[in-house]
Amino acid sequence: MSGNDINRRDFLKFMGLGGAGAVTLSGCDMPTTVTLEEGKEEVVSYLAPEEYVIPGIGVWYASTCQQCPSGCGVHGRVREGRVLKLEGNPDSPVNAGVLCQMGQASLQGHYNPDRITKPMVRKGGNLTEVSWEEAIELVNSKVGAANGKVAMLTGAMSGHQAELMDTYLAKIGGKDHFVYETINNAVAEAVNAEMFGSAQPRYNLDKAGAVLSFGADFLATWVSPMHFSQQYAKFRTGNRGVLIAVEPNMSLTGANADMWVPAKPGTEGVIALGVANVLISKKMVDGSVLPVDALATISQYGVDKVTAETGVGGDVLVRIATYLKERSPSLVLAGASAQSNTGGSQVVAAVNALNILLGNVGKTIGAEDAFPVKSLAPRRGSSAALAAFAKGADAGDYEVAFIYNTNPLYSAPAGLELNGKLAKVGLKVALSMFPDETTLAADVVLPLASPYEDWGTQVPGYLPSEGGLNVQQPLMRPLYSTVKGLGDVLLVLAKAAGAEELNQYADFYAYLQAGFAAMPASIKGGMSDAEFWSKSRQKGFVAVANSQGSLNVKVGDLAQVADKAGSDFPMHLAPAARAGMYDGRNANLPWLQEQPDPITKVFWDSWAELHPSTAAKLGVKEGDFIRVESAQGSLEVQVYVYKGVHPDVVAVPMGRGHDEYGRFASREKGVNPLKLIGGDVDAKSGELALYSTKVRVSKTGRSAEMPRLGGSESQVGRRLVSTVSADVYRRTEGGGNNVA
Amino acid sequence: MQTKDINENIAWAQINADVLRSMESPRMGYWIAVAACLAMVACAVVAEIYQYQIGMGVGNLNWPHMWDIYIATFVFWIGMSHSGTLLSAILHIIHADWRKPIYRFAEAMTTFSLMTAGLFPIIHLGRVWNMYWVLPYVSDRGIWPNYRSPLVWDAFAITTYLTSSALFLFIGMIPDLAICRDNARGWRQKLYTVLSMGWQGDDRQWRNFRKIYLLMACFLIPLAVSVHSIVSADFAMSIMPGWHITSFPPYFVAGALYSGCAAIITLFIILRYFFRFDEYMTIPILEKTCKLTFAIAMVWSYLTLIEFASVWYGHDLVAKESLMERFVGPYSPFFWLMLFCGIICPFALAIEKMRRHLPTMFVVSLLLNLGMWLERWMIVTPTLATSHYPFAWDVMWPGMVQWAIVFGSFGWFGLLFLIFVKVFPSVSMYEVKEMVFHRRHAHRPDLAAKFHRRSSDQQPGDTASGQPRPEGA
Amino acid sequence: MSLKNVLENWSDYRKGHEQGGHHDYEHMWVMAVDLDKCTGCNACSVACYAENNLAVVGKERMMKGQGMHWLRVERYWDEPQIGGDDGQFQSAGGSFLPMMCQHCNAATCEPVCPVAATYHTPDGLNAQVYNRCIGSRYCSNNCPYRLRYFNFFSYYEESWPEPLNQQLNPDLSVRDKGVMEKCTFCVQRIRTAKDTARREGRAVQDGDAVTACAQTCPTQAIVFGDMLDKESRVSKIWAKQQVELGKTKQVKANPELRGYRILEGLNTDPCIMYLDRVREV
Repeated sequence: MSGNDINRRDFLKFMGLGGAGAVTLSGCDMPTTVTLEEGKEEVVSYLAPEEYVIPGIGVWYASTCQQCPSGCGVHGRVREGRVLKLEGNPDSPVNAGVLCQMGQASLQGHYNPDRITKPMVRKGGNLTEVSWEEAIELVNSKVGAANGKVAMLTGAMSGHQAELMDTYLAKIGGKDHFVYETINNAVAEAVNAEMFGSAQPRYNLDKAGAVLSFGADFLATWVSPMHFSQQYAKFRTGNRGVLIAVEPNMSLTGANADMWVPAKPGTEGVIALGVANVLISKKMVDGSVLPVDALATISQYGVDKVTAETGVGGDVLVRIATYLKERSPSLVLAGASAQSNTGGSQVVAAVNALNILLGNVGKTIGAEDAFPVKSLAPRRGSSAALAAFAKGADAGDYEVAFIYNTNPLYSAPAGLELNGKLAKVGLKVALSMFPDETTLAADVVLPLASPYEDWGTQVPGYLPSEGGLNVQQPLMRPLYSTVKGLGDVLLVLAKAAGAEELNQYADFYAYLQAGFAAMPASIKGGMSDAEFWSKSRQKGFVAVANSQGSLNVKVGDLAQVADKAGSDFPMHLAPAARAGMYDGRNANLPWLQEQPDPITKVFWDSWAELHPSTAAKLGVKEGDFIRVESAQGSLEVQVYVYKGVHPDVVAVPMGRGHDEYGRFASREKGVNPLKLIGGDVDAKSGELALYSTKVRVSKTGRSAEMPRLGGSESQVGRRLVSTVSADVYRRTEGGGNNVA
Repeated sequence: MQTKDINENIAWAQINADVLRSMESPRMGYWIAVAACLAMVACAVVAEIYQYQIGMGVGNLNWPHMWDIYIATFVFWIGMSHSGTLLSAILHIIHADWRKPIYRFAEAMTTFSLMTAGLFPIIHLGRVWNMYWVLPYVSDRGIWPNYRSPLVWDAFAITTYLTSSALFLFIGMIPDLAICRDNARGWRQKLYTVLSMGWQGDDRQWRNFRKIYLLMACFLIPLAVSVHSIVSADFAMSIMPGWHITSFPPYFVAGALYSGCAAIITLFIILRYFFRFDEYMTIPILEKTCKLTFAIAMVWSYLTLIEFASVWYGHDLVAKESLMERFVGPYSPFFWLMLFCGIICPFALAIEKMRRHLPTMFVVSLLLNLGMWLERWMIVTPTLATSHYPFAWDVMWPGMVQWAIVFGSFGWFGLLFLIFVKVFPSVSMYEVKEMVFHRRHAHRPDLAAKFHRRSSDQQPGDTASGQPRPEGA
Repeated sequence: MSLKNVLENWSDYRKGHEQGGHHDYEHMWVMAVDLDKCTGCNACSVACYAENNLAVVGKERMMKGQGMHWLRVERYWDEPQIGGDDGQFQSAGGSFLPMMCQHCNAATCEPVCPVAATYHTPDGLNAQVYNRCIGSRYCSNNCPYRLRYFNFFSYYEESWPEPLNQQLNPDLSVRDKGVMEKCTFCVQRIRTAKDTARREGRAVQDGDAVTACAQTCPTQAIVFGDMLDKESRVSKIWAKQQVELGKTKQVKANPELRGYRILEGLNTDPCIMYLDRVREV
């Protein structure tokens, strides 16, 4: 309501006010909406709703899911000013209309009862609610005095917020922006960059006839699960590709594999070289595509040696090799359990060599594509960043640390000893929505708007073809007037730090709009600024016609790093990542807590997976508590016994065991396997080796009913899930015959 | 050793005096019993209020155990109700006159167990405040219950049976109420005056009384059979293995008669002991009841085994699984206990020495009823535990709330019965007199011959018999 | 109608109007679930929680079996059809089965409800009228798939503490204690699709009405649509798999085709067809 002219909308508002007044006089309790506009309180009747509100009719708005870094486009259903339901954006190149459980549940983060609503500052040891002005004042003064000794520790970021963060960091003289993700693909990125010249090459599962996954849970947590799920569906139709999974404990991808092979973490590379060895020795492929050094290394990994080191039999290697060859082109992937080891780089190198040997490069593996605006490029997360931050903090390099969208106090391995190191940072500023462990340890807490209340853009870490810049637009007004969007906070901070070029922007929205206007004409596709801006918001993303470059193949040393033998701790710990709890960020979403884990069907609690033979040796059965001890500490957890885990592995999925993080995360605590993990790193990339920790498992004698859904894990002869052989499938539906 | 059903030389006045004495001011023991029953009912009331407020889940009901011991106990009490009908109606029609001293309390048992049973379908409803929706009342929205549902049949069957059996009890009591009226003062006299409906004992009244009593008896017999068949339909009409069994209606009726008879033995012994009814509730009558119970027990055992056999030899693998689950699954201890109580224990009834030993019979009769309760539980729960769908298999043990309500139902039944025995004659005076009268004739062939002709068309209360008319009748 | 005819075609008569009766319907909503594409990821189940106001009951009550998962994703370890798995490892993965109300045409839950709170709509849906339900729970007992869930408690306060309740879908109610509930095939979305089509003066097209689970399925393993629309994706899948609604005995020209319905032998005539999981053997 600026100026004196009364438009139709204002007129209706006045009418509504009059109407409400009349009704009030008549003594009725008429519900009214009180809004703050231009500092005046107004009573606005529902007769004059917001223009976009049609009572009873849901309107869909495009935005971007922020629940994991893969950047799925969403449509949010908004009714009467509230966002009610998310669905995948059908036009999105990432997820084409589908959404995973975490995306579906992200609304419960937005509406979470444990959200932080007011800025807080630590006063006398306790976080005390203060005004935004006071909090920002404090931050500015400390940053001003820090002399550039400022660090940013964030989760994966990209787009205009990242750009603005860079601007701010540059303005205050800080250099360090640590991008930390527990669940990452960083080792592979480093090796890929070296071997292919592309950190995150494009994978085409849909074009593959066989996929061999070394712990790459591409259906649930690896890189871009919704994108790969779509490819997987295509991969399984028609001639139906063969999926082989080699991993320490069964992931969702492994559970869908035709062939599931257990492997101790870190031995995946040996198996990959063993497969390569079979391929070459049986003359299934031409070995000359690899350099002589590599071939020499491969020739050392004969079947006997591989079987001795990994327990994987020669017949299995031959079967895998045969599938890969016969169903060429194939695709070999290395996921967390393969990468996150002291020899992780070598495992990935072996996997990549296998891809090269099979001739997959250029067919199922293509070159990476980048969004043309470099300043918006994705900052993919790694755990080396956390280690670096910890080191810097320990050395007293940081007077001020901003922490955004990450919860390292929960997710940092115990071996990093982050608690003590973080305490050495003078002022810890948490930009956070939730009272998680890190936020509650901060000195200043700035409450952020939820992703569905905030503006932003994002370039997915894995950019699919036709992908581009995702637009994250608010789906409703902030639930709390006292929270601010990340962009707005950064803008305020940057302006205060003297970024005069930003003074023209009243808020982040204006910054974003200008950012869109400033995009190259090739991206705008001939549209006017206004048109481009409105179209982008409408679509939810800015597509870029990506050109598929080619990869430069370079094979280095493939020799595998031998496992450290340790008699005290005979078993491997697999801190498995599962969709749902993910890295622990979703533990405050009740829908996901209540969802039974896809593999074990355990809900609301943690569990440890043991192989029946191991369990028999220990004398434990399902529901018994075991103690898992590492050099770092111990935890007690209930056992789930099944045949989907390597006998030498105890798998305790991460995500639970929060000390803080609101009522849903701390109600049924569970355990946090990351607190058993030491500080080992992959020598080459510096990534934390989450799967290298050895543990000792013992019986506690305690037992309780397992919180697990389902009365029977057997079909007891009924035709519930019926299985047919792939031959039958190919006969009836193979080729062009497919019906579904 | 007592061999006669009743001492035929007992005087009419003695009979009246003995029975009316049982209704006199209660002693301390009675009040203790009442207090105990009230306490039990209070347990149930508290549990029900809690369940009403919080929800059905408080008693551990779950998915897939949507039904549990509420329904089992419901079937149990419905079964109990069959005793009265058996003794009064069936034995009345087949002229087994030894029933006469004991049918009154059996009929009362019928009515009260129905009043108890009827509570359970209500208690077990998730939205108990809407229970009347089951009834076909005229609704201006034209909404009717679903007549295909066995639960609606239940509602009809139980209400009909309750009305009929209460009427039957009342009608059969009218001549006795008149005796009470003539011997009572104060509120009792007013009550009996109203209830005896001006009974004078004249010929016309007796004639009408006989007709209506016989008519009611004939009406009740098919009703009793159908009620328990319909209750069995709750299970038999479903698609669940272990429930979907053709032999369920006769099986349930046999089980009902069985538990009813066992309960009669229990109450027989209690009443005989506390009210010193040794003259009327004699050992030979107990023996006859025991023999009858034994026969029914054997029928029930046969039907139980038949049920197993038909499942075992059938082709329904799921039903077979469900059966095996009962034999060896987590509920099997209760299942075997049920078979022991239901099939082995009744053999005690076949042994004369045990039959005549009241404490033994008391224990045996309780065991039989325990077996019958377990039978109902073993029908309801293991089937839900092991059904068509393995993912939904679950073992559930009823929680305290369920137990409290089931426990309280026994208190409720006991309370009703305790009130009954002090307000109404628990032994039928006029029928005992009839019995004595006939026995006298039977032992004096000369008199029998003399009255043979007339006794066929004008039987009891015959003033021309030369015998004194029963007082008050 | 001779007696001979009745006896010979007994099963047809027994099925009454379900025998082909749905051809008079306006719509006949059915589903096809490809178990080979289904990865068991739970997205459908969470989408169902979001769409249908399903209560979160917490660990204790989930353990007691009082959860409200209309769409539960089951996981089995054995494979009876291909001889099971007796090896040392679970070498062919797991078997996932998303189970939601099968909307049986001969629904066993319907005849047993004493107050007719569950009935068949002319859309072929097995509807549950919450307001009419008195909570006898007979329907759940008689559902061979155990797909009906009972509100054993009032979950409102615990499940949606402020402001989580603002997410509740106003298109359908939040159920209080004492009523039975189950998958509705997202009847509110069907309703919206029908209303939109009517407002736009056209027939409902394939894809207008999509259940939340089918919409979000990452591999599009769930296909939902109108059986009476011969052009719909779902009816084509059913036709190609040679599975027919309303038939007691399925006669497949090609017995190797993957389509089947669960516990078909019970003759409940479910509206969800599953397609066999496939494995290399």
